[in-house]
Amino acid sequence: MGLEYRAVGWNRQKKLYDLTLAAAVAVYLAAFVGVGLALKPNATAETLLIRAFGTAAFALLHVILSIGPLCRLSPRFLPLLYNRRHLGVTMFFLGLAHAALSIVQFHLFGDVNPLVSVFTSNAHYGDVADFPFQPLGLAALVVLFLMAATSHDFWLHNLTAPTWKALHMGVYVAYGLLVMHVALGALQAERSPLYVVLVGAGLAWVLGLHLYAAGREAARDRAGVGPAAGEEVGDGFVDVCAVDEIPDARARVVCAAGERVAIYRYGGRLAAVSSVCQHQNGPLGEGRVIDGCITCPWHGYQYVPETGESPPPFTERVPTFPVRVRDGRVQLDPRPRPAGRPAGSCSVKGAP
Amino acid sequence: MLVTLVSWLVGLAAAYLAVGLVFAVAFVTRGAGRVDPVAAHGTWGFRLAILPGCAALWPLLARRWARGERAPVERTPHRDAAGPAEGAP
Ligand code: HEM
Ligand code: FES
Repeated sequence: MGLEYRAVGWNRQKKLYDLTLAAAVAVYLAAFVGVGLALKPNATAETLLIRAFGTAAFALLHVILSIGPLCRLSPRFLPLLYNRRHLGVTMFFLGLAHAALSIVQFHLFGDVNPLVSVFTSNAHYGDVADFPFQPLGLAALVVLFLMAATSHDFWLHNLTAPTWKALHMGVYVAYGLLVMHVALGALQAERSPLYVVLVGAGLAWVLGLHLYAAGREAARDRAGVGPAAGEEVGDGFVDVCAVDEIPDARARVVCAAGERVAIYRYGGRLAAVSSVCQHQNGPLGEGRVIDGCITCPWHGYQYVPETGESPPPFTERVPTFPVRVRDGRVQLDPRPRPAGRPAGSCSVKGAP
Repeated sequence: MLVTLVSWLVGLAAAYLAVGLVFAVAFVTRGAGRVDPVAAHGTWGFRLAILPGCAALWPLLARRWARGERAPVERTPHRDAAGPAEGAP
């Protein structure tokens, strides 16, 4: 719902979020270096900082990867999602600090270009155990850069949400590269096996959480489309549910025309919109009606139920669907109306 | 051999980004507002924030700017099935 672009659209909630994040990162880095100095008094500051930044970035990546599935499991985690992009940008800068210090420490003083040296100082590309782990870190950093650099809403609008989301799926590529970067690095340096165990535990957590959330979601989708839903009832309409099954200011979500449709009930009326928010394709059907507008649960974009349009001066628009009520049952025409030709609404009593 | 190959690739990437950086400075000051009218009133902080991305994705933006195109509307199954929007900008 941008009217004007700013560097960061800070509000109270985002400021609190960012302050908490900055404090947590600062405490972590200080604790890491402090404990490191206490345990190994002869470790150099560079080495400790390299490790502090690297592990901070990697730990933060686990948090970032957990937010998506956690939000699908429970709306309690939505406040974390609200500003997730700032976590991503912070992680990129932590990774960049780790990478820059590593390059200074290990590659700056040779006779080849330091960036070239990252790829060539260890050339055992055919060897599994001795595989060069630093290029993997660099590749991950490039992916993280692309995502951080395109995190502004300008990019969402100009790449469109589906393309933007596909690009940001690169976070899983980066994660895979980093798991190998850390595991191989620890193996080759013959560091404590604790490193490999921790990486394994992190991997199990991320994979387990994603599989669990996907399973739950699939089960809910199957249950959500009730036995009668989808049955043709004439004029191209399909049966959805009883009117009373939709609580006020909330939606019933069904799949139609290859995507989710949100059928909202608000103040005695019903209206249906495509459940895909135009901002980041958030689940519009999981929001609620606030001040007469369907409000997306992710970042609060709003749409007028009857028209699918954001209230002026905003310009977002989503397709709408005709709905009607017959004998106390909600019926949906699964043929979407384009933005600008709204499908309107109907009374819960059955009158138009 | 490996050093030569990697030097080439690193040089290529550096050249791509150097062109991108020059382009990005021009784009954030002039082009952004043409491609996306909302950006015409963007703050300087905003212009700085999108600069690295413009340097990285410059071929896409350069093409759009040169052709006088606007940002496209996303495609979803519902939008495809509904057909073109009315009164689209
Ligand atoms: C140019 C890119 C990179 C280079 C040259 C690089 C280099 C290194 C080196 C040399 C080590 C071993 C350090 C040691 O044993 O003391 C290491 C470890 C590690 N790296 Fe990277 N790295 C890069 C990118 C990244 C990125 C982007 C991340 C995370 C976002 C990351 C996370 C880690 C972690 C968690 C460790 C294990 C902890 C440690 O030993 O420091 N690295 N990296
Ligand atoms: S996805 Fe961001 S507000 Fe809907």
